[in-house]
Amino acid sequence: MIDNKSLIIGGLVIAILIGVMAVFLASSDPDGLESTALIIQGGKTLTGPTPPTAEIQENLEGKFAYSAPMPDYSLGEAMGSTGGILAIVGGTILAFLVAIGLVYALKIAGNKNPPRVLDR
Amino acid sequence: MHIPDAFIPIWQGAIYWIVALVFVYLSLRWAKNELNEEKLPLVAVLAAGIFALQSFNLPVSMGTSGHLVGGALVAIILGSPFAAVFILTLVLIVQGVMFGDGGITTMGANILNMGVVGGFVGFYSFKGLKAATGNMPVSAFIAAWLACFIPALCASVELWLAGTFPLQAGMVAMGLYHAIIGVVEGVITVAAIYLIVNIRPDLADQGVLPTKVGAIA
Repeated sequence: MIDNKSLIIGGLVIAILIGVMAVFLASSDPDGLESTALIIQGGKTLTGPTPPTAEIQENLEGKFAYSAPMPDYSLGEAMGSTGGILAIVGGTILAFLVAIGLVYALKIAGNKNPPRVLDR
Repeated sequence: MHIPDAFIPIWQGAIYWIVALVFVYLSLRWAKNELNEEKLPLVAVLAAGIFALQSFNLPVSMGTSGHLVGGALVAIILGSPFAAVFILTLVLIVQGVMFGDGGITTMGANILNMGVVGGFVGFYSFKGLKAATGNMPVSAFIAAWLACFIPALCASVELWLAGTFPLQAGMVAMGLYHAIIGVVEGVITVAAIYLIVNIRPDLADQGVLPTKVGAIA
C-alpha cells in the first residue's frame, strides 16, 4: 500500500507517460464516430481502410462554432510533437487540478474542514 | 465518441445540456457528501488518467481507432455512477474548451453518453454480474464493454434525431466499431482496477475487493 503523496506522484507520472506515448503512438485513423460519419458521407466503407484523403464534411449552418486554443491536442504544426507533448501534459495536469479544485470548492462551501490531501 | 458542434443543432444540444445538468448537479452533491480527504487523490488521479487515456487512440481495424471512455472504470472503482458523471464531466470540459475534442453545444450530449449512460450502465451491470457470477474481472470486463457499446448506440440515436446519421447505418457502424473498442475498454478497465486494488485497496469500493479483504474492511 502506498501513501497519498506517492499515489498522486505515481498516478500523475503514469498519466503523463500515457499522454506522451499517445503523441507518438496513437493511431491516426478516425475514431468510431468519425469513421461512421465518413461512411455516411461516402468517404469510407464499413469494414475497409480509411483513405488518407478522407475528410469529414461538417455542415456548420445554424450550428455553434468554437475555436479551441489547442485543437487536436497540438500547438500547431510548427511546434510538431513537442507541441503535442506540451498540450497533452498540460491537459492532464489541468484535469488533475480541476478535480482537486472542484472538490475543495465543494467541501469549503459545505463545511469548515476542507480536505487535506497530503496529510496521510 | 465525442460529438462535435457541427453534428447536432443548437436547440437539440440545449435539451441534452439541460438533462445533463440535472445529473451534473446530482454528481456534485455526491462529491460533496461522499468525497473526503482520503479519496480526493484517487479522484484527481483518475481524472488525469482518463484525460490521458482518452487522448491515446488505439487501432481497432477497419480503418478505425478507439480510446478508453472510462465511465465504467470510475463508477466501479469509486462505487457510484455519479463518480463517473463527476469525473467525465470535468474531463469533457477540459477536452472541449481547451482542445476542441467534442463540441461546446454538444457537451451536454457527450456528458449524457459517456458520463451518465456509461457510468450507470457500467456500475449497475457490474453489480448485477458480480452478484450473479462472483467473478470481479469478468464482471468488470463485460460492464466496461457495455459502458462503451451502449453509449455509442445512444450517440447514434442522437445523431439520427439531429439528421446527421441515418438510424440503421449509424447504429450498425457505431455499434460495430464500439463493440471492438469496447474490448480495449474492458481490458484497460480490469487492469486499472487491479492496479488500484493492489496499491490502495482502502480507496476502492468494496464491490471490487476480494471477499476476504472486503470482510476485514
